[in-house]
Order: sequence, then C-alpha cells, then structure tokens
Amino acid sequence: MGRLRTITRRTFLIGSATIAGGVVFGTYLAKRPIKNPLLSDLQEGEGAITPYVKIDANGVTLITPRADKGQGAYSMQAQLIAEELDIDPAIANLSPGMPGPAYYNGVVMEESVPFPAYDKSAMAENVRKFMHVPAKLLAMQITGGSSTVPDGFVKLRMAGAIARETLKEAAALQSGITRDQLKTEDGFVVMPDGTRLSYTELASDAASIEPVTEVELRSQSEWKYLGKPMQRIDMPAKCTGTEKYGIDVSVKGMVHAAVRANPGLGAKMESFDASIAESMRGVQKVLPVENGIAVIADNTWRAWRAVDAIDIKWAAGPYPAGTQEIFAEIEKAVNSEEHRDHRQRDDGDVTTALEEGDNFEAVYKVPYLAHAPMEPMNAIVKVTDDQCEIWTGTQIPLFVRDHAAEMTGLDKDMVFVYVQPMGGSFGHKLEDTHVLQAVEIAKAMKGTAVKLVWSREEDMTHDYLRPGAVAKGRGKVVDGKVEAFDLSVGQSGLMADWFGRLMGMNIPGPDATITTGSWDQRFAIPNYRVTGYRAPVMVPISSWRSVGASGNGFFHDSLLDELIHKADADPLAERIRLCLDDTSRKVLEKVGEISGWNGSFISENRGRGVAFCLSFGVPTAIVTEVTHTDVGIKIDRVFVVVDVGDVLDPINLEAQVFGGVIFGMAHAMNCETTFENHTAQQDNYHAFEGMRLYQVPEFEIVALSNAEKIRGIGEPGVPPSAPSLGNAIFAATGRRIRELPFNKQIDFV
Amino acid sequence: MSKMLLHKGLVVTLSLSSAIVFTVAMAADEKVEISPPAAGSVSKAQGLNAWSRIFQVASHPRCANCHTGPSDRPMWSGPSYGKPRVHGMNIQAGNSRIGAETILCSTCHTTKSDDWDNANTTKHAAPRVAMSWALAPANAHWFGRTTRQICEQLRDPETNGGRDTLEIAEHLNHDLILHWAWSPGGNREPAPYSLQEHVNDILAWGVAGTPCPEDQSGG
Amino acid sequence: MEITVNDTSYTIDVEPEMPLLWVLRDELGITGPKYGCGIAQCGACTVHVNGYALRSCQLAVGDLGDSKVKTIEGLGAPDSLHFVQQAWIENQVAQCGYCQSGQIMQAASLLSTNPNPSDDQIDAAMSGNLCRCGTYPRIRTAVKAAAKKLQEV
Repeated sequence: MGRLRTITRRTFLIGSATIAGGVVFGTYLAKRPIKNPLLSDLQEGEGAITPYVKIDANGVTLITPRADKGQGAYSMQAQLIAEELDIDPAIANLSPGMPGPAYYNGVVMEESVPFPAYDKSAMAENVRKFMHVPAKLLAMQITGGSSTVPDGFVKLRMAGAIARETLKEAAALQSGITRDQLKTEDGFVVMPDGTRLSYTELASDAASIEPVTEVELRSQSEWKYLGKPMQRIDMPAKCTGTEKYGIDVSVKGMVHAAVRANPGLGAKMESFDASIAESMRGVQKVLPVENGIAVIADNTWRAWRAVDAIDIKWAAGPYPAGTQEIFAEIEKAVNSEEHRDHRQRDDGDVTTALEEGDNFEAVYKVPYLAHAPMEPMNAIVKVTDDQCEIWTGTQIPLFVRDHAAEMTGLDKDMVFVYVQPMGGSFGHKLEDTHVLQAVEIAKAMKGTAVKLVWSREEDMTHDYLRPGAVAKGRGKVVDGKVEAFDLSVGQSGLMADWFGRLMGMNIPGPDATITTGSWDQRFAIPNYRVTGYRAPVMVPISSWRSVGASGNGFFHDSLLDELIHKADADPLAERIRLCLDDTSRKVLEKVGEISGWNGSFISENRGRGVAFCLSFGVPTAIVTEVTHTDVGIKIDRVFVVVDVGDVLDPINLEAQVFGGVIFGMAHAMNCETTFENHTAQQDNYHAFEGMRLYQVPEFEIVALSNAEKIRGIGEPGVPPSAPSLGNAIFAATGRRIRELPFNKQIDFV
Repeated sequence: MSKMLLHKGLVVTLSLSSAIVFTVAMAADEKVEISPPAAGSVSKAQGLNAWSRIFQVASHPRCANCHTGPSDRPMWSGPSYGKPRVHGMNIQAGNSRIGAETILCSTCHTTKSDDWDNANTTKHAAPRVAMSWALAPANAHWFGRTTRQICEQLRDPETNGGRDTLEIAEHLNHDLILHWAWSPGGNREPAPYSLQEHVNDILAWGVAGTPCPEDQSGG
Repeated sequence: MEITVNDTSYTIDVEPEMPLLWVLRDELGITGPKYGCGIAQCGACTVHVNGYALRSCQLAVGDLGDSKVKTIEGLGAPDSLHFVQQAWIENQVAQCGYCQSGQIMQAASLLSTNPNPSDDQIDAAMSGNLCRCGTYPRIRTAVKAAAKKLQEV
C-alpha cells in the first residue's frame, strides 16, 4: 500500500476532462467534473485515463471502488472495465483505489424513491435519475443496496472503452495510421501489419492527449467475458489463506488495542478499576474512550485479556431495558395516527371492504438481528501531526475519512483510507464506530499505528441491528378470492438513525424502509393497503442484508399465503392470477415448472410453500419443500427463480442466490438479538447459530432475463426465503408460525 | 499410544493423544481418597440413600449429556442450555465414541494438560481436560433413563466395564473428564455434591450390596 | 518455547496458556487461520496438529509439546495447490472467503482419514465450520470433487 501525500504534478498529468469515463449522469451543479482521485497519486511516467484505469510501468491497474464484502464485487467491476478495455482481468492489477467523490454510487439512492421497481414511467425514471444528484453531491461512495452492478454496468464499461479508444488514439498519433484501423487485444494496440504496442508503452502519450469520449459500448454478442461463466479473481488467494483482510494487515511498529464499550449502547462509563489490567504482561496503556475503555498491549490476546480484567460500572442504556418493553413500543405505534409515517399503497377501499363480515386478522413479528459477519470489526489507524492513515474494510470510505478528519482536526485530504477486503459484512461495515474508536486511541498514541480488533462478544453486543418489527394484517376472502389485504407495519426509522450517524443530521420525511418489500409488490387485490408506522428509535439500528424487505418480505407474503389458504385456492396459481407484473408472473410460473408444483401437499408430513418478493428491482420466487420428522423440520429442497435482466456471471449469480436464501432461512430458523438489562444477549455464535452444512437443502436456481434493466443479486434472495419456509412448515404441519425465529415454536433437524 | 479402529470398512490409524502431549498433572486438591467403609457397616437403607445421591450425579447434565447410550450423539441440556437438544453442529461420536469417523471430539475439546482447574474459564467454549474428550461407552446409558435403569447398569459388570464398586471408584479417580463435571467452568452448573462425596457414596453403595430402588419413579 | 509450524521451527516467548491461534497470527504473522469466535463455534481457526484438524483458538500453546502444526499456508500455495484447495477453486466455493481456510483444513483432515466419505459423513464432519455467506452447497460439491481427485491419483 503506497503512502500518498503531496500532489506531484508530472509530465503526463491529464486534465479534469478525463473524468468523463466515470460520470455519465448528472444535471446542473452535479455536472461539474469531480476531481479524478488518481491524479494526486501519479508518479513519474504514470497516466490515469479515467478514475477507473491507471497505467504505469507495472502494467494496467483497474480501480474497483465498490468494496468487496465477499460477493465478488472486485472481480465483477474489473470484468466490466476489462470487457471494453481488452485486457484479461486476471492479468491486470486490481486496486480499490483511494476513496474519492468520483466513485459516488448513484443507484444506491434509487431504492429510496417513492416508486415501485416495476414502475417504468417517465416520471419514475426521472426521479430515479435525479437521485444520482444528491448521491454525487453528498459524495456517497457507498457499497450496498445490491447496486454495484446496476451502478457500474454502464459507467465501468464506458471507462474501459474511453481508456481503450484513447490508447488507440495515442497509437494513431505515433504511427500515422487512423484510429479506426487499429484494434486492441489483451493489453495491446494492434496495427494493421500485426505490430503490437503495449498499453504500458502508450500510457504516457495517451495521458497527454485529450481523451476520446465519443465511444460506443459493445453489444452483448461481442462480449468476451461478461455473460459467460467467469472465474472469480480472488478465489486462489481465498483458498490458500493468502487473501489479506483488514484483520490480517500488519503495519510496522503497530500496537494492539482492545475496547470494552458500554453494552448499554450510547451510554457512558461511570467508573472503572484497571489496577489488575495495568500490571498484566504486555499491557502498555489503559485509556478511557467514548463510552468505554481501551487497553493497548503488544498483542491482541493480551489486550483482550487485560480488558476483561477491568472492573467497570456502566450507565444504563438510553432505551427500554428489555425486548418485551421495546416491542411494546413498536406495537403501540402500529395503527396509531400519531405514528403514521406513510401509506404508499392504497388501492380500492379497504376501510369499507373490512367494515363488516368475516375478516381475517393476524399479528406478525420479526426480531432484531445482528449482522455477525465472520470477520469482526477491526481497523488500524496511525495518526501523526500532519496526517491520519486508516486501514480497514468498509462500505463507507468517504464517511470514514470525513469523520476521522473531524476527530483529528486534519484536512480531509490528509486522511488516507486504505480499503481492505472484508470477511463478510451484511451491512455491518456501513458503520464506523470501531474505526473512530481506533482513531481516538491512535490520537493518544501519536506516531504509532494502533490495530483495534473487536472480540466476537464486543462485536455482537455493539452492532447496529436489523430493526425488529411488528405487522398487523387484516384481510377478507370472498368467493374463493382475496378481496381485501391490509397490512400495517411498525418499526423504528432506520434511515434516520443511520444517516444521523453518517451525516450528523436528521433526514426529514418518511422512512420508506418500514414498508419496502410490502407496499411495492404488484398484485391485483381489489382493496389493497400498506401503511408504515414509525416507532421511536430505541436500540440503534441500521441496514441488514436486504434492509426493509428482510422483514416485509415475511409480513407481506405470510399474510397473502394465509388469505389464499383461507380462500381455498392454490398458493402458486392464486399468486400467478393476482400478479399484475409480467416479469414477476413469469418468475412465478417458472418456479412452478422447475419445482413440479402440484399443490402444497406432497405426502404425509411433507409439504411445500411458495413465496414471492420484488426487492431491489428483482422479482424472486422461491418454492421450499420440508419434511416434518420426529426430531423437527428438515428443509429438503429449495427452488429459486430470479430475473435480473442480463446475467453477467451465471456462476456468481447462483452463489449469491443460494447464499442469500441460506442467509434468510438461517436467521428465520434460529436467530434473534434480544435485550435484557439494556444489553444484547446473543454475544457469540453459540446463541446465534444460523445454518450448518447438514441443514442445507438441495438447490435448483434459474435466472430469467426478461427484465429490461440489469440488477444486482446480493440481496433479493433474502426477503422471500423466510416466508417460503414458513409457508412450507404450514403445509407440512398445519401450524402457521407468525413470529421469527421459527425455532421458538418448532424444532429443526 | 496408537491403535487401529475398524468399523464399517473404515480403517483409521488414530493416535488417541492425537495432537497432544499426554501428561496427567493433577493438583493436590483433586486427589481423591478411596477408603471403603468396613464390610457390613452400611445398611441397605443407607445404601439406597447413597444411590439416590449417585443418581442425582449420574442424571445431572454434566454427566448425562455424554452418557447417551446407543445414540452416538452427545446432548446439550441443563441450566446453561435451555431446552434439551442434541449437541449442535451435527456432532456424532460414531462407533469410536471419539468422532474418529468424521470429526474428532478433540478437534474442539482440546487437551489442556496443565493447570486444568483454570482450563475452562471462557464462557461457552468447548470444555477441555487433561485427556482426550470422548462420549461414554454405549452401555453406560444415563441420559433420560430412570434411577433403576441406571442403577442396574452400574452394578452389572457386563455393562459397567467389568468393574466392582471399588474399581468404579478408581475409575472416577482417574478419568479426568469425570473430574471436570465438578469444576466445569464457564458458568456451567457443576454436578451436585463433590467428587470425594460421590466416591464415598459409590463405595458405601457397594458395601451395602449395590441395592437398586424397586420403583422406577423413585430415586 | 519452541514450536514447529509448516515445517519451520520458531522460538517464542509467550504465556503457555496463550491460544495457538494468536501465537500464529500475532507472534508469527501467519494469518491464514482466522479468528471468528474464540470458543470453537465457527472453525475459522482450524489448523492441523499432527495431521488432525484442530481449532487453534482452543489449544493452549503450552500444550503443543513436540506436535507439528500445519496451517492453510502449509497445505498448499497458489502455485502448488493441495488437491482440496484445487477442488475449492474449481468449484468457486469462496464468497467472502474468511471461513474457507478452516473449511479447507477440516475437509483435508476428513479426507486424510476417510478418503471416500459418504454424504452423511461429509455433513457430520463439516458442520462445525460456520459460513455466514452460505457457501455450503459448494462446500459439499468441492469435498466430493476432492475425494474424486483422490480416487484418481
């Protein structure tokens, strides 16, 4: 990792116009070019053609600014650039680059618009495009929202194409042969006579000319890498223990820190006695930090042992002490006018339809959930008088930079964030509390790099959780058809809580995540209403793989399934009949076909459930088959159909689909984070088990390509997985379980 | 110490001490005195009283969880677990009773040869002692069994490993997994009474002629 | 104290109760074995000790004695892959990859004692290794593919 300091303007430095490769959207103010962050990092003889391609003596470096949490984002970004640049991505160097506003994520904000994904009207599309503007202005270099592919699909290929054409133009100027007669191949410009000029030797000339921005992207039929099974570039390193995650980074002279912060989240430390800890081997310093205490020692284990030996008195957390009280607040919000946040779905006249007669009513609940990625939170920070360096795996590098600048009083330009590969995240690394703790410690250890690693227990008791939620469902069935559907969802506002931490300000207006995954489904129910009620923020909350849809997928589809059963209709046929969106309907039809659907009954003690959710623009249908055995529910087979538009890598798509479904089902089976005495009770995997290999069903996965827009697939598998399992359990046992996790009421094999 | 285990066509050469230097170092306070009462000095009623305490120990989760009989699956039950359930992670001790067919118990339950009183201070970690972790033999089936069933198993040399009560007491003295039951660490509830009291009860029960309760619900 | 890791011997000056995992990672800079839980719940720290899989977070380094430690780095390197690693790469198992060092070491240990495990035996041997990304279907495939490689040798 190079140290990046003063801007050295070299001979080949190129103008800001070269940014065009990175930015293709925008309006007025947002149209102003953004500084290409590679320009401040150029050494003698280097050229940077777009923010995504850097060429120096060592070859071609593809910049992949979306962080890799394990979903192959680095590979995919490299492959998108390489497809147009004509270079084997396995041969190119890959680097996440230094964080910069040029790498803003436009698409991640699209999910927050008040239009469902299936709405392709001009109005909806314009508003979505408009959302790229605040993303750009707020410098939102964020990884999340299944957005890496949709955001990069055009941008990154454009970057590759601009770089390629500019290199060709440089070769044309050198040789006097016009650009249209030149070809490119594997990192070379090829002359009509077969002479090959490497990109590396052309780089300096290319950097000194005006880049060629009038380029056309290749059609799908010309793709060499995309659309075909690809080998993920990180695979050999990850299978030989040589991939370096943040937790593996070592910086010369570093010391090791442990932190124990108040498990009553946000509350102070009242007093502590560190006399034992101070005398323990290897301990260099005991240091109070915000809401807790840190130990600095010569290795991780000694720091952890010492922090365990500190006797601490905590102030009580600023929220109700126990899970029951917390959920009582949420329940109170549901259907209370005072807490009403938004109603984005209100078809027909639900009030009249449910006025009298035989109405169905049920209450559903989903718990708070930790992210608990395998790699716990960690960061290395080194602060000196004139700069701050940070090594960490993060989804929000620019926020990390800005927050560290604020804490150290340094210029933002003097804070360097070196983003590391992540051992999972699921949204955990959209937060930076651990980094700021490390900055605080490093400030007290000026000149020395401090490596902070949270223990698993510290990690799981200081998470920003998936919010718990309660939904009250009502409905009516008339003549074997679902006539009315009314869902009221109560939850704390996670966007306001998260943004408050990131931006230091509250965002006004409704919080769409309360009903995302419920209100934006498209079914022809005559009286169809979804209302969001906002409970106060109690324990701090944040985004968790699939965000609002993680709970709403369960609420919406469970209620729908109950009404369909009440109507005595077939669960799959009725969903297909009700579905108004063509792409979604085809997904449902396909899942029926591959699963051999012939009703929810399979045989005695065996049943199947279907569920559907449209999230992140991806219609996803799942059929799950279970057996009710003597020792509990066994998940036998799972069939999944998705539609992401064009599939860029079928191998990775399949991995993301079964990974998402396993993630969703695992938590639905046996995970929750509960509170006692203001403290999260599940502090390690013994109490937060998830799914183990022997519980994993067989999968069959199909991706359709009827959708017009390309979509990301990191999250959409999650929302329908819990209801498909719940619906299957109902089919096999006759028991409808309306509260997650299921294992509170039924055993699993 | 190495031996060949043959089962189901699978041949495994297994070093029982697998990873570990096999030293048995016991602190002074773990030593158990074995002094049986004089012959004829314990009445049947006293013997049954001793048995009822032995049963409380044998049926306690610290003991019964690994005495699961013909099932090769250890249990997780007792105050630190909530509802009784089989050991997580699909653990099967196999015919070898040490998991040799698939995953050794000692993969997680490592051997702690030194200072083992403090070996289990980490909450929820896999318990460890100064010998290889294993499931009890299938004959010694205690989990979910009645006091009479356990009693009959324990007094019958056919099912107790060919031991008289003095030898059972000796076994208790040497099998360090059994010692662990009284100092399990990690917030686990220890087995009732003490190891010495348990040994005394075994010896008294033996001298009384190993009486077993008639009534299956007793004990 | 002296310990042997990947055929190299090291002299270390640490408390005997220090877990092998942290000796490897912080004292020797061998970072293939990962910390995930510290209580034998996840298996990310799995190494081989005298050829058998073992959770290095659970073994006090003082109890190692003369036993030989092998980590994922000693199993095979990118240019000299072990057949289990090869099977893992060919089947593109890893997502975040953090648990895979442990998964691979566990699978290699299984196949060294049981070269042709049944599906049930794979499910039993590999269920102590947690994967939060849900790579399990491909772990199953890769263990079988590795066993097949072994039959072909």
